[in-house]
Amino acid sequence: MTVNHQKNKPASSYESEYMDTLRTLFNENSQIEAIRYFLNTTYLYFKQEKMVRRKPEVIVMGTSIPEELIYAAGAKPFWILGGSLGTVAWSDDLVPRDTDPVSRSMLGFLLNDHFDLGAEALIIVPITCDSSRKMAYLLSAAGKKVVTVDIPPEKSDPLAGLKWRGQMELLAEKLTDHTGRRLSKKNLVQATQLVETARKLMRDFIQVCRQKEGLISGALRMAVLNSYYYTADLKGWCGHLRKLNLELLANRQVISAAEQSKPKILLMGSPVVLPNYKIPFLIGDIGLQIGATLDSSIQKIYASSTQHKASKRDPFTAIIESHYRYDCSAAYAQNEMFYQSACWHLEQGGIEGVVFHVLKGQIEYDFELERFEQLFGQEAIPVFRLETDYQYQDVEQLRIRMEAFMEMLAHHRYREEKRAV
Amino acid sequence: MSLIYNKKTNQENNHESNTKPPTTMEERQRQRFVDKATKVSAKYLRRLEELNGAPETMQPFFKVLKDIYVDMKNVEKPADTKIVGTYCVMVPDELIYAVGAQPVKLCSGSYTAFAIGDDLVPRDACPLIKAVMGFQAMEVMPIYDDCALMVVPITCDCKKKMVGMLKERVPTYSLHVPTAKSDDTDMEQYVQELYQLIPELEKVTGQTISYQSLAKSIDQMGFAQYQMSKFNTYKKHVPALIKGTHAMALMNAFSYMPVEQWSQQLHLLNQELARRKKDKHYVSKDKQPRIMVTGSPIIFPNIKIPLLIEETGGILVGDETCMGERSLYDPTVVVDQSFDGLMRSLANRYTRPCTCPTFVDNSQRIYRIKQMIADHQVQGVVYHVLRGCLVYDFEYQTLEDELGKLGVPVIRVESDYNEEDIEQLRIRIEAFIELIKLKDLALRPKKPEIAG
Repeated sequence: MTVNHQKNKPASSYESEYMDTLRTLFNENSQIEAIRYFLNTTYLYFKQEKMVRRKPEVIVMGTSIPEELIYAAGAKPFWILGGSLGTVAWSDDLVPRDTDPVSRSMLGFLLNDHFDLGAEALIIVPITCDSSRKMAYLLSAAGKKVVTVDIPPEKSDPLAGLKWRGQMELLAEKLTDHTGRRLSKKNLVQATQLVETARKLMRDFIQVCRQKEGLISGALRMAVLNSYYYTADLKGWCGHLRKLNLELLANRQVISAAEQSKPKILLMGSPVVLPNYKIPFLIGDIGLQIGATLDSSIQKIYASSTQHKASKRDPFTAIIESHYRYDCSAAYAQNEMFYQSACWHLEQGGIEGVVFHVLKGQIEYDFELERFEQLFGQEAIPVFRLETDYQYQDVEQLRIRMEAFMEMLAHHRYREEKRAV
Repeated sequence: MSLIYNKKTNQENNHESNTKPPTTMEERQRQRFVDKATKVSAKYLRRLEELNGAPETMQPFFKVLKDIYVDMKNVEKPADTKIVGTYCVMVPDELIYAVGAQPVKLCSGSYTAFAIGDDLVPRDACPLIKAVMGFQAMEVMPIYDDCALMVVPITCDCKKKMVGMLKERVPTYSLHVPTAKSDDTDMEQYVQELYQLIPELEKVTGQTISYQSLAKSIDQMGFAQYQMSKFNTYKKHVPALIKGTHAMALMNAFSYMPVEQWSQQLHLLNQELARRKKDKHYVSKDKQPRIMVTGSPIIFPNIKIPLLIEETGGILVGDETCMGERSLYDPTVVVDQSFDGLMRSLANRYTRPCTCPTFVDNSQRIYRIKQMIADHQVQGVVYHVLRGCLVYDFEYQTLEDELGKLGVPVIRVESDYNEEDIEQLRIRIEAFIELIKLKDLALRPKKPEIAG
């Protein structure tokens, strides 16, 4: 095992990737002043100089852990979600060939020659897939302080709730030991309020974007929501999101008819994480519009623990139960929440096609595909399975396929209009 | 995806094929499937039997494999006994026997079923899952079709998703295997899992588990493990008393035989091996490279790797796979003589010594392999990775490093359920065995040169 391998690629490819993405996002939407903050937040997260100096107290891999517990324990969660091709290259020697790029990228962030994020951190690894269980071992073998969370894979299992509670209690204990701060009721309520404010604002933001269709690109919308995971100051972030929502609502810019009439698609499946935005950019490039996104990180926005019946009496239960209910990560045998969310999007209407994004190696999403094909097939909505990884070599090939998909959607629309006439 | 045909028993199939040709396209397709699947199984069974040195007492094991895979019969069991299908090595057979049912391990190695399953599950799913789903869809294998319940431990991503697919077709129960096993809390969770499984099993047969029935089945399994441990001592012998491929065949047969019958037969085999030892009747030469296989499961009829090892001059002396020795490791140790005590012993036995890569920290597997290398005097390790079996692939690098320190060569062979890669594998395995021979030659003390 060569954790700090000498042949690690230079950091420049890592830096250039996020810079390119942020530049593209800025250039596409520079007329909106308030987005600068969110792009800057993302920039500061990825900036290598910052990474070198950064010593996070608690690191969370993926989005399957309720962050309220971490805030309540007096720490700020430092999320590692993958998304970087640069860090994929850093972990190349550590994992098998067929490992999914998300796990590779996550591992690259933690085991590389350039910075050591996990030096003082408690690293929380939720076991959502095979890669995560093996990654947890690699990290602990490399001397990192790791705590795993075994997610019960069957939500219908009568013991699932108890098992989840057991896991969360263990996590709370480990967090308390690490930070030295007890998860008191007061701390939990405060953390819930903080996170719930952010989630409420994100839900508002999605609503505003729906109202002001075409004002900002789908990619930017995703980037703003993504930046939640990159901020070190959640209160400040909330303030800026409120400002952005207001700015968008007040915006009187005339949106062209062409912009509004772009076929709208639902982007779902493997989460698209900054800086690897080749899919949203591609969708925008060829003239499609991301009407909505559905993945585990987006779905989390709707996990509102304040609406739980036990929110006042027992905030811990409210937090963990709401989170488990809404979690639609790859951890489940039958991902019902993912399916229900797709049904909800279908009911909302306006979706003309579905891009089902599968990152190579994330086989769980591939298993689910058939179910979604059937679901959307009932409404004659075509589903386009798009398999890729973090490499950029396949962009042109994907573009050709995506263009064909767009033509199909256009033809579909024309046929519908003709039928209506 | 529309491969679910009307269910017919195998007897009906055979009867139809004997009397009139299949009429509809689906029937013809199914008949082709049966023909091909049985042909491949018969071929590998023949190769097994032709591999020299098979003990006489191996015949019943071969017969079981023939019954299941060539004649497509059901497992031998008393009438009205229900079948409970299991996967992996974490489902306690003891609980199934205790409710009066017959456990059958359904992990499959069929190339033909794999080809069918390829259309049903994602491309990158492991071949084992594809083969299982292929059989499930074709409905020609009684061991799959007659299952009253399937118990699937969630050990990897593919098994996890397979549960979801199976649940839509057959009664399926998923067993949540904890990702860690060192803490008491993990064990406590697995004990609860097993308690939760009991009513599901009881529903299958209508019988309740009593202390007596559970204790009896633990004893039965204990006898099988005892025979297995005796067998293992014979396997350690240098030169070898039995070919490793034959040993794997008998372990595969365990999946389809009532435990008492299997143990009895293994007892006879052990007696024959004792005679062989006494008579110095060996199946390998002194200097034949002693190989061990580990990694993804090797399931009949996909036994190309052990066959290749032994056909190219090696002798397979150990297998650290879940279809091999891992499924019958240490016996259940009962400390507390209460029902709860029995359940706790089972939970311990099925997880603590288990070296499945489903566990986050599986360093125990390295120690186990090292121990086996020492015990069996292994000279080289073949690391088998089924395409798509990521968990085993992850552990390869650590093992390679550890074995490198010991100076034991290891080769990673990636394979699938087809015969297309056999020649390529043969070349690699042959070269590996040659390498071991050369290494052995170099290490051997040189004879003093005789002057003149």
